[in-house]
Amino acid sequence: MIISVASGKGGTGKTTVACNMALSVGYCQFMDYDVEAPNSSFFLKPDIKHIHKVTIKQPYFLRGTGADFSECASFCNYNAVAVVGDDVIFFPELCHGCGGCLLVGPEGAVRENDVVVGEVRNGVASPSIDYYMGDLKPGSMRTISIQGDMDKSLNRDELVIIDCPPGTSCSMVFSVKDCDYCILVTEPTPYGLNDLKLSIEVLESMDKPFGVIINRDGIGDDEVEKFCKNSGIKILAMIPNKREIAEYYSRGDSLIEYDSSWKSRFEEIVKEIEKDIRK
Amino acid sequence: MIVAISSTGTSLESKVDPRFGRCPFFIIYNTDDDSFEHVENQARQAMGGAGIQTGQMIAGRGVKAVITGNVGPNAFRVLAAAGVKVYSGVSDQVSDAVQKLKAGELQGTSAPDVSSHFGTGGGGGNN
Repeated sequence: MIISVASGKGGTGKTTVACNMALSVGYCQFMDYDVEAPNSSFFLKPDIKHIHKVTIKQPYFLRGTGADFSECASFCNYNAVAVVGDDVIFFPELCHGCGGCLLVGPEGAVRENDVVVGEVRNGVASPSIDYYMGDLKPGSMRTISIQGDMDKSLNRDELVIIDCPPGTSCSMVFSVKDCDYCILVTEPTPYGLNDLKLSIEVLESMDKPFGVIINRDGIGDDEVEKFCKNSGIKILAMIPNKREIAEYYSRGDSLIEYDSSWKSRFEEIVKEIEKDIRK
Repeated sequence: MIVAISSTGTSLESKVDPRFGRCPFFIIYNTDDDSFEHVENQARQAMGGAGIQTGQMIAGRGVKAVITGNVGPNAFRVLAAAGVKVYSGVSDQVSDAVQKLKAGELQGTSAPDVSSHFGTGGGGGNN
């Protein structure tokens, strides 16, 4: 079973929920898909055993050969290749690595390089967490390439917890596409509510079952709660807004260390989800 | 000399559009005989690299100078490679901009003046 932990608004507590759920259950696979800003390692403190580089294919053009690359330029939907006069200009940051320019370009004059866009780290976190974390190289735009590489290690037979990137863009969609259930973490503020609605739109269009965890309960109003109740959306938990919780967090300590009753609460949530999706 | 002016409309009374890659129209103006035509900028719908595609279209039309509001780094590279001179920071009516160019009152630009995605209307086009 795959549970993705997502949120429209950033900084609402995705990683807090995902990490504490993993620590509570104990035996699971943990995937940090927030590869632009992975920070789950602060809380899970994994012992990293393997690191492998993720590469993408990137074309290069043999200039000065008299070859005409204009077919490559007109083929590229992302305008990563420009032909001006008889020169070719390549914009690597726009290239999606589809390889099309090799197919339509002059034979032999377009070649490919492997370019490193980041890495995936794998290890063990206690008590028994199979830990994966993607780390995108700063400046690279190839978020999905890293997540796609991590996808190959997903072990559906066990409980998998995916810590998603914030927002509703491609990288979030990619992180929830295989999940059996999505937990949306939000805060009880107008921003939290607005972005919660956006995430719900995405999940509904993908037919994904979901529930909501309200974090920092007490900082805002009760509009999120009302909205969920009126729309028949399940509120899985409400984590109170407490200075002590923030202090634990800022030290890299978990919520269950602060209050051990959260361990059983998170275990229950997983059981409830399991029951929900078996219905 | 053929000049391309990024334009909000199709006539000489239109305003110079502040965006190069994603402006709706270009006025292609021939300063030798004061004739002009307009072209729709198809590249403004591009998913990415609108300035690059626009730059190639402009270069392909034998244009030697561009008058616009702002040019990003990628479009600037294409225009520079094509030997097209860039006059940016212009916000007049198209006809006034042409008159200023003819009178030598416009200053050429030697570097891009906005970052990528300036004209996309988002906060940088990332999300």
